[in-house]
Amino acid sequence: MLDKYSCLRKLAEYRRENDIVVSTMSCAAPWAALANGPLDFASVDSAMGHAADFAYGLALAQPERRVIVLNGDGSTLMCLGTLVTVAQRPAANFTLVITENGTYEVTGNQPVPGAGTVDFAAMARGAGLDKVYTLSSEEEFDDHLALHFNIEGPAVFVWKIATATEPVPKPDRPIRERAHRLRACLIS
Amino acid sequence: MRAQLLLQQIKKRGVTHVVGLPDNGSRALFEALWSDNEIEVVAVTREGEAFAIASGLYLGGSRPLVIIQNTGLFETGDAYRGTAYNMGIPLVMILGYRGLKTMLPGSPRVDSAATFLEPTLKAWDIPYSIMMEDHDVEPMIDAAFEKAASTSMPAAVLLGVDTV
Repeated sequence: MLDKYSCLRKLAEYRRENDIVVSTMSCAAPWAALANGPLDFASVDSAMGHAADFAYGLALAQPERRVIVLNGDGSTLMCLGTLVTVAQRPAANFTLVITENGTYEVTGNQPVPGAGTVDFAAMARGAGLDKVYTLSSEEEFDDHLALHFNIEGPAVFVWKIATATEPVPKPDRPIRERAHRLRACLIS
Repeated sequence: MRAQLLLQQIKKRGVTHVVGLPDNGSRALFEALWSDNEIEVVAVTREGEAFAIASGLYLGGSRPLVIIQNTGLFETGDAYRGTAYNMGIPLVMILGYRGLKTMLPGSPRVDSAATFLEPTLKAWDIPYSIMMEDHDVEPMIDAAFEKAASTSMPAAVLLGVDTV
């Protein structure tokens, strides 16, 4: 089982200055503690289940930048069709991370439907995505860290993470301001 | 309504991507888009994705347009609220007005997809106009883009008749 905080720390250390990172739910606050610039977009006060498709839109518009989205397992289940949408129009710069802990962490770790039985990697492959990796140990994570940034996507990484107790994230500025700060940085 | 006329107006506004899901009313427009191949069409599996993807596209510097049916709009509720609306995206959407004719007097059955539409748009704070004839296309498409730009909020144009 992976430690989410350790994975995020390593991701932040590897991340390059032009990469966009979209976080949501239980990754949003820990990621903001590591990186909180214009290209770090917390999909919070937004719509649960729509961080991945939002990030995919960014990836289509910004093909020269890597776009990584840190999505949850519950969030992924809310919009499974996005796996198909991404597969049918591949974006080489798009990386989807599914942090799988089996719970809705920020509301108190209630179990996600299908926890322990759903195979996210198989669903991604079934949708037509072929660069799909399931990471369960620190060694596996370290071996695949660079791939998150360098692989020709779309790529899916399923992180099997331990349950934690993140509260509901509270970004330091309203979503509209965060969104337009991101745009200003991208079109400047 | 002539699909080519709509396509011409969409191109005139500099649209880079159409994000959506075809229905019978927009079928000819989607076919025109695919044939023309100048504007990229991003096909979604469910309409909520359209607002999230379009919002990402806009923030990334592209100029997206959403085309979905009214039934699909109802499904988008939280996606629309949480992305295009909350983020303040000047996004134009073309919405198929399925069932409009069933609201005419004497219709044997009224389609709730039609009766729900305009009250929903008002509740969701989406300004709109309804295109019924070819001569509506240019002024209404222009007005929607100008409204969206001036408010930095979404605006809609309803497709009252099928495209051909």
